[in-house]
Amino acid sequence: MQIQKLSKQYDGKTVVDGVSFSIPKGKVISLIGPNGAGKSTVMGMISRLIAQDSGLIHFEGKEMGKWKSRELSKRLAILTQSNHIQMKLTVRELVTFGRFPYSGNRLTREDQEIIDRAIRYMELETFEDRFLDELSGGQRQRALIAMVIAQDTEYVLLDEPTNNLDIYHATNMMKTVRRLCDELGKTVILVLHEINYAAFYSDYICAFKDGKIAKFGTVEEVITKENLSEIYQVDFEILNIAGKPLSIYY
Amino acid sequence: MKSAVIRANERKLLLMAALVLLCTVGYLLLEVNLANPRLLAYAMKLRVPKVVVMLITAFTIGGASIVFQSVINNTIVTPCLLGMNSLYTLIHTAVVFFLGSGSLIAVNANLAFGVDIVLMGLVATVTYSWIFQKTKHNVLYVLLVGTVLTSFFGSLQSTITRVMDPNEYDALLTTLVASFSNINSEIVLFAVVLLAGVTFAIRKELALLDVLTLGKAQAINLGVDYDRCIRRLLLGVTLYIAVATAMVGPISFLGLIVANLSRQLLKTYRHSQLILGSALFGMIVLVGGQLLVEHVVSYTVPISVFITVGGGLYFLYLLLTRKKV
Repeated sequence: MQIQKLSKQYDGKTVVDGVSFSIPKGKVISLIGPNGAGKSTVMGMISRLIAQDSGLIHFEGKEMGKWKSRELSKRLAILTQSNHIQMKLTVRELVTFGRFPYSGNRLTREDQEIIDRAIRYMELETFEDRFLDELSGGQRQRALIAMVIAQDTEYVLLDEPTNNLDIYHATNMMKTVRRLCDELGKTVILVLHEINYAAFYSDYICAFKDGKIAKFGTVEEVITKENLSEIYQVDFEILNIAGKPLSIYY
Repeated sequence: MKSAVIRANERKLLLMAALVLLCTVGYLLLEVNLANPRLLAYAMKLRVPKVVVMLITAFTIGGASIVFQSVINNTIVTPCLLGMNSLYTLIHTAVVFFLGSGSLIAVNANLAFGVDIVLMGLVATVTYSWIFQKTKHNVLYVLLVGTVLTSFFGSLQSTITRVMDPNEYDALLTTLVASFSNINSEIVLFAVVLLAGVTFAIRKELALLDVLTLGKAQAINLGVDYDRCIRRLLLGVTLYIAVATAMVGPISFLGLIVANLSRQLLKTYRHSQLILGSALFGMIVLVGGQLLVEHVVSYTVPISVFITVGGGLYFLYLLLTRKKV
């Protein structure tokens, strides 16, 4: 996936300003940056939820806008922050929706198997007939990931997946992200607020500031004392733990 | 593979269908002299068209309300917000005021129906298709436009009635209440054809309703052309309500009741079942209600009074018992 000179304005204020980068396949890429740096807007444009004012997104050899929505939904899965679902829906029914791009409302035997596998992968077997509104935030997030797995796409886009989760569930969420990439071979792009999660679990980091890319590269290249201090305007110390550059800020 | 919920709901729907049948048969045969074939034939001639109109209206309002609520993604909105009720009231008041209660449009039911349909269809298309596109597909703007139009039509209508001749007003009043009597078969046939046409035009979008209720982002994620889909459904629903209102008068408040009863009873996201449930509830309320009106209170209270009073109480109940807002 290649992003060229992406720009977006809201009421005359430029939120994203000529952002270009290409996304390496089969890796975990985190978008980080302070509030209002434009990372979520870039994510929104990559996931076609927000229309860009200018710039191009090339996806699998074709311009994003030229793809049929149905075809795109077999290659690119999106999970946004706001997932309040009004309907009474069980976990299994939610995961079943992941097969919609392939089979519509009529499921094949193969679809059922894929759904079963997705539920097992996220260890949701004991919850599969529970309603979503009866689950905890962490369980609900796992159910949504199971749906993304059932959608069986090469790319997975997650907008702040650790938002509103406690440390236990957030860490498990990040481990799942890693597994999606390592075990299922997916390209995962996510927006993160916690720099340490980004540093520990991603392959590449794209840091935003004021609507532009401040730094893009491997974790080691981006997570340095100088870079982070400049991006966030706070003092940072970098510690090397388990071979990863983790940061302390105060 | 059918889950337990689906099968349980199928049983509930069957039971409701049986109740509808019971109400219908009861309505047709109650206090009829079965021994005298001529009296029987006379009673049927009066009652069968009424029952048919009630069943069609119930299906239209019930189905349209579920779709409307799912499109707005809110279960306590009523299709009254679309403004069709007050537009109907305004059209009929204006006709009587400007042309007189003896004029051709006021007297000829077919012509009145035609005028209603054309005007409502026009307003529906402009508001719910064109403005929707203009506002960059913001459903809330469209609802706001609907609410403003409702008060606008209402104010115009009340202004006219203030300066109206009292005798004319008296004649007008009877047409402003939903009624199932005196609807001729040509109108019914025309309405059915229109409804079938609208249904055919939005058949693809109807199949996407389940996915739409997951919210905009999820629907787009699953490959739905969201804006186009919502626009077509909104237009379809408005035309549905317009046809039902033109046929029997202001009745869309019924939709709020039956749609929520259906959601409460069936507890599912499957729209095929929800729509059917809502339509069946509508039939029970209308036919059963009319049965009460004719045989218990013997026509002293029109059915719309029952619907408004009962619906109002139910609406309050819904507001007070909703856990999340």
